[in-house]
Amino acid sequence: MALTRTAPGRARTARARPPAPAASGWRRRRDAVGLLFALPALVLFAAFAIYPMLRVFQLSLYDYNLTSPPVWVGLDNFTFLFGDDRFLASLGASLFYVVVTYGPAVLLALVLALGLNTRMRGSAFVRLMYFAPVATSWVAVSVIWRLVLQPEGLLNQTLNTDIPWLTSSTWAKWAIAIAAIWKEVGFFLIIFLAGLQNIPKDLQEAAALDGAGSLRRLRYVTLPLLKPISVVVLVMAVIRGFQSFSPQVVLTGGSFGTEVINLFVYKTAFASARMGRASAVAVLMFVLLLMVTFVQLRALRRSA
Amino acid sequence: MSAAVAQRPAAPARPVSRRRRPVGRVVVLLLLLAGGLVFASVFVYAALSAVKPADEILANPMRWLPSQWLWSNFALPFQETPFARYYLNSTVVGVSVTVLNVITCTLAGYSFSKFTYRGRNVLFLVVLATLMVPLEVIYVPLYALVFDLGWVNSFAGLIIPSATSAFGIFLMRQSIDGLPDELLEAARIDGAGELRILWNVVAPMMVSPMAALALFIFMTNWDSHLWPLLVGNDAEHQTLPVGLAAMQANNLGSGGIPMMMAAALLALLPTLLLFLVLQRKFVEGITMTAGIK
Repeated sequence: MALTRTAPGRARTARARPPAPAASGWRRRRDAVGLLFALPALVLFAAFAIYPMLRVFQLSLYDYNLTSPPVWVGLDNFTFLFGDDRFLASLGASLFYVVVTYGPAVLLALVLALGLNTRMRGSAFVRLMYFAPVATSWVAVSVIWRLVLQPEGLLNQTLNTDIPWLTSSTWAKWAIAIAAIWKEVGFFLIIFLAGLQNIPKDLQEAAALDGAGSLRRLRYVTLPLLKPISVVVLVMAVIRGFQSFSPQVVLTGGSFGTEVINLFVYKTAFASARMGRASAVAVLMFVLLLMVTFVQLRALRRSA
Repeated sequence: MSAAVAQRPAAPARPVSRRRRPVGRVVVLLLLLAGGLVFASVFVYAALSAVKPADEILANPMRWLPSQWLWSNFALPFQETPFARYYLNSTVVGVSVTVLNVITCTLAGYSFSKFTYRGRNVLFLVVLATLMVPLEVIYVPLYALVFDLGWVNSFAGLIIPSATSAFGIFLMRQSIDGLPDELLEAARIDGAGELRILWNVVAPMMVSPMAALALFIFMTNWDSHLWPLLVGNDAEHQTLPVGLAAMQANNLGSGGIPMMMAAALLALLPTLLLFLVLQRKFVEGITMTAGIK
């Protein structure tokens, strides 16, 4: 029930508004007041979102260390990056993190959502257990997982293994992915549950009356109708994945092959004071995210 | 035998419904419950580790329960680190950012929804477009700007760049769109000024979306790590995520584990409690974020 209010987004935004009545002086004065209402937000956006957005492209073409004036270097930052093993490794680490965390997390969330999409008594309680990690902060959760992943920690003791989760190049990236799956499943579960509640009940019932078993209903009714929300989920997953920072900082400090791209930007900008080069990475990240979003939205449109 | 035969004719008459096989559903729910317990076990493990003596935490074989319950471990973060300071800073920054967001987003949402000035749609689209640009892309020049403003290591640097949000403006605009124009016209005919209408007519009807927005912003801010690390990394301005990560870096030995577990649990408690109390609003907020992209 709590999940019924979902995604009114597009339809409402696109709705045509009635044409403005002929502007009288009174009307114009009122609209000027209206613009004034938007002003605080617009000023904040201009200063703290749009200006930095433009500046990141500009800075990517400069050598800049914050204290002395920027020096023009053209595309040097980019050519450097494409030959830099550390940058390429961080790109690889981020791709690994995105795929190995969000692939399983999204799939698991989908399966859980199908199971939890019921009014049965107790299901609300079970949901809570999956939702709870979403309501906690990444750093606090990472501190806890540092203990879980110790050689004698909960994970090894449960699996009866002896894996050096956080101190090996083989395992560290998996360890972080496991912690992140635990943290993120609930987020996508919430979205999938909302998507499921939007599927009209009569469709399911009609299919059932036609003799479709629950597996066939899943295959031919539920899953196709979940496709649009799945694309949204995948776009969000990729964006969230590339933003990852805290679990790497707390769990490994970026060692053992876990220096993701965001951590690389941070270290380049603030440990090496190379703001220009860090901006170049940010530009590449932005282009990559735009491309992913674009490709996924196209896939959605083609299938729709 | 006869009893079974007598029962059989009743079966086909039952309507086809989702509750046809309640046993299967119960089994599924039990499986999901088991998975949920696995998820929850991480919290339980952390909580029990927080009250154990340090040398029992990583004992092999593992024992869930402590030999003695050291509740006093929860005082350790406050005694040995500036934990109270982190907590206070996170609260001050979180509450300020939340209040500012509710104000700026409601104002802008109202403006974009109920007024018709030139350029309104373009401005709204520009605001929406910034949703595509995460902080991670712009934080280097943003830091340079805040540095030039002299706001590094200040509450201004922690609060003001986060004082509005595209998501919030979108949410408030959508909600205010649902208010009938006649209502506002009626107030206007009664001679109410625009601010008065906003305060006395619009705001009271927007309490629910404002609450969803406030919850969402507060929880996001409580989790915020990267930005506070950049602009609030001195002793007076460290927030919980920054302070907690610093504590962790200083306590890599096993002796500090009870303190770290206590600190982590205390740090995640406020948002977890908010979530438990306001679950619906929380879910609403997250679903709204999916409605945009």
